[in-house]
Amino acid sequence: MARISSHDPERQEILTRRATLFGGVFTLGLFVIGGRLFQLQIAEHQKYLDLANDNQFNRRVLTPLRGEIVDRFGKPLASNRQTFRLLLIPEQAKDLEAAFDAVHTIVPLSEERRARIRRQMRRRGQGTPIEIEADLSWDEFARINYDLPHLPGVLPEVGEARSYPLGNATAFVVGYVGAVIDKDIAEVVDESEENLLRQPGFKVGRDGLERTYDRELRGVPGALDVKVNAYGRVIEELTESQTSPQQGKTLALTIDAELQLAAMKELEGESASAVVLDVVTGDVLVLASTPAFNPNDFNFGIKPDLWKQLNESPYHPLLNKPIAALYPPGSTFKMISAMAAEMSGISTSFSVSCPGKLWYGNRFFHCWKKGGHGGGINMKNAIKHSCDVYFYTVAKSLDIDVLAEAARKLGLGQKFDLGIPGQKQGVVPSRDWKKAYFAHSPENQTWFPGETLSVIIGQGYVTTTPLQLAVMTARIATGKEVRPRIVRVIGDKELPPNAFPDIDIDPKYFGTIRAGMDAVVNEPGGTAVRSALENPAWRLAGKTGTSQVYAITAADRARGLAKPEDLPWERRDHALFVCYAPFDNPRYACSVVVEHGIGGARMAGPKAREIMRAVLAKDPASREPFDPRKAPLQQQARAG
Amino acid sequence: MAIALPGPRRDIRSTLARLHWPLIAMLSMIGAAGVLTLYSAAQGSWTPWALQHLARFGMSLGLLIVVALIGMRFWQALAYPIYAVALVALILVPIFGVERLGAQRWIDVGHFQFQPSELMKIGLVLALARYYHGLRVEQVSHLLYLIPPAIMIGAPVGLIFMQPDLGTAMMLAMTGVAIVFLAGLSWRIGFLGLLGGVGAAYAAYYFDILHQYQVERILTFLDPDRDPLGKGYHILQSKIGLGSGGLAGKGYMEGTQSELKFLPEMQTDFIFTIFGEEFGFIGAIFLLALYYMVIMTGVGIALRAKTHFARLVAMGVLVTFALYVLINCGMVMGLAPVVGVPLPLVSYGGTVMITIMVGFGLVMSAHLSREGEGGIGI
Repeated sequence: MARISSHDPERQEILTRRATLFGGVFTLGLFVIGGRLFQLQIAEHQKYLDLANDNQFNRRVLTPLRGEIVDRFGKPLASNRQTFRLLLIPEQAKDLEAAFDAVHTIVPLSEERRARIRRQMRRRGQGTPIEIEADLSWDEFARINYDLPHLPGVLPEVGEARSYPLGNATAFVVGYVGAVIDKDIAEVVDESEENLLRQPGFKVGRDGLERTYDRELRGVPGALDVKVNAYGRVIEELTESQTSPQQGKTLALTIDAELQLAAMKELEGESASAVVLDVVTGDVLVLASTPAFNPNDFNFGIKPDLWKQLNESPYHPLLNKPIAALYPPGSTFKMISAMAAEMSGISTSFSVSCPGKLWYGNRFFHCWKKGGHGGGINMKNAIKHSCDVYFYTVAKSLDIDVLAEAARKLGLGQKFDLGIPGQKQGVVPSRDWKKAYFAHSPENQTWFPGETLSVIIGQGYVTTTPLQLAVMTARIATGKEVRPRIVRVIGDKELPPNAFPDIDIDPKYFGTIRAGMDAVVNEPGGTAVRSALENPAWRLAGKTGTSQVYAITAADRARGLAKPEDLPWERRDHALFVCYAPFDNPRYACSVVVEHGIGGARMAGPKAREIMRAVLAKDPASREPFDPRKAPLQQQARAG
Repeated sequence: MAIALPGPRRDIRSTLARLHWPLIAMLSMIGAAGVLTLYSAAQGSWTPWALQHLARFGMSLGLLIVVALIGMRFWQALAYPIYAVALVALILVPIFGVERLGAQRWIDVGHFQFQPSELMKIGLVLALARYYHGLRVEQVSHLLYLIPPAIMIGAPVGLIFMQPDLGTAMMLAMTGVAIVFLAGLSWRIGFLGLLGGVGAAYAAYYFDILHQYQVERILTFLDPDRDPLGKGYHILQSKIGLGSGGLAGKGYMEGTQSELKFLPEMQTDFIFTIFGEEFGFIGAIFLLALYYMVIMTGVGIALRAKTHFARLVAMGVLVTFALYVLINCGMVMGLAPVVGVPLPLVSYGGTVMITIMVGFGLVMSAHLSREGEGGIGI
């Protein structure tokens, strides 16, 4: 390498040029930086100032307490209880799995649960707190709080959970609440509702009145601005700008919790339902269904094995039997049959002799009583003894459409506006109905007189719900167009009391059937004399019913199956009983259906009697009902 | 070769007087801005950063003067040995290194740890300057003479890249290339080389040589707003800090972004955000003006230096310093990827401070050896 002078001028000249260029490039770079600073700090200053305030201040939604549901005397059927829960804010947890493991040492977190939390997190984003455990014990809650410094992003909180003090007894009336799903979010009307629904652990009504009146029960959320640091830790609460949440409206029902419990107890062990109505107001006092799930099990999401068990039980504990199960009314239909016969011109004194069966068309129609009822069966006695042959006889001269019209006027074949989802309509067969029903097979559309013989004893196509049977009984008792209701007051709005018009049936047609029902219970030889109440002021008028589930065949008889008890449970007949009381001045109507209970007189009647005994003893209609507008204000607010 | 100690007392005093005191004053003001900001970042506390920073600055300033007094001839003589030591240390990192935050960058030497990559920043500048000091201008652009600098740059850059420390590797490569250009590389060859570099970068991306987090950083840089709580979070929070500061700032110790801990690593990489948030546009421009004056003063010193070696060393140091400033500022404002480059003399951190101040010691040494005035030492 040649020795060169440090004073090589050309070399120095290039360096000078390029160093100047470097200085220029650096200056340019600083201008770019300065320009960017100008953009951020001067031009877009307001935008970033707003963002900085957003960073600093969080608007917290204050979740309102859900409105209570109370019975007619103010006894809570659905209320709120304090819970200890655990929230997780994913963006603060940084390492989600580590947070799970840390929590797991105190509260077990299954892999399924973790997967669910991860899913929720993906859906709702990093910033939304997620409920990882809804109902901690005090001990767990205390330990979590103790370990909090090692649990970033974990937030223990005192929350509220729905509580159903009567448990399964009112399961089908109040329903239950459940977690918010995407569909609920998709249906929100505005942002404030969406914010409320996105509150961790927020619940919406999923069934029953909780579902129908969900919006009324939710209440109005409040808001609180808080100053938080980057870890979400609240540094300051700006209470002066706070708006308090308002608890949801109280629903006061017509249900009488005490009587509801009494009915549930009476039906215990059976797959059954009971309805009690105030025939004057239409108030549903009892709407009982057994067996029933416990809505408290649904509060934090039902456990899969319990759900499976509920779904697979032959007793259908998820079916709201009083309004959603359909049964052939059996002999409880005979009041309608008798009334239709009378309206068709058959005299109440017309009587038949019952040999136990009647030949019609090409076969025998059997009376329920083997050997028959003998002679002298007029209309009243036909009801008293529930004589099938009498009704077969009048059916021959009865038009099915007249029967159908009477049935509809007395409340069958229609839904009533109770506010409880899942009500069934049932079937009142008529010529038009059959035409529509068999729209795709014209050869089956013709109504055959033999079919009227089945319908007239409440079999065949006709189906009803226990609620419809109770309404029917109430309408027979009063002659008015009784319509049931279950919600009496919403918040401070009292629903107008019902004033029922007279039924469009000549009052003269009610006398005989009422007398028949009275005889069923109170005359010797009546099918339900065992169901009479000893207090004469409580005189009960009723009607038994047994609706066939399975016809015992000749082959069964050959195998030795003669009695219904020999049949497997699910093939036994349903037992029904309808009644009202007091006979002279009707106030309460009741229907009881015991699935596969074999006989109305034996199974349903005594249960109805006991329920009515409790109802009449208490006489809820005579007592002042609860008025939430006069009730003391409850604690309204809770920070969310 | 004997190490030259400062001469007689009288000489030291006169030499001290000849130091470029305005430059030292500017550097001290920048260091003071660091102390001020670190005090604020700790919510008005000298610990854990401000006092330490002040002490380090004082020590480093002493080091600067010592390096300056030692004289350019000595550094010229030691240029290659220092580079060799740094290279060996870099090779030893994977063997004896200490892993921190997923990267091996540190070596334990007795009680303290040091980063060979920092030593290499000085070493490479010295070695390249020494190399070009011995070349005639027509040799600079000769392909054969390009091989040694290519190796000198490539070897440490490759080693640091594999630690992995993308930011430092890129800084080092850019500094090296800048010195080659300053030494007079023809634009034609430079352009071709640049083309090759871009190709290599593309290949690196294509063949997955970059770590996932490095790719992520670059992608996030391209659009930080697309995912405000994800990867672009830091940049966005930094922009919010600066932007909310406005013209005059929120006032000293009034920055909410830092107080509420929205800024990550605020005492190191994002210190400028705190400064800008609290002192606003006016304060930030003032700090940038200080940097500008340091660089321009430095360039003036470099161009008046006596030897080609001194000129190139001074320019190399200034390039490194300028890159720190531009990359860090660009980073906190969302103009450059977040690569972990501190703001020189303001960010908390000892090794970078030492590197910078030793570098300015060399600039100062170039100043003392400026033409016509001679230097002390050997």
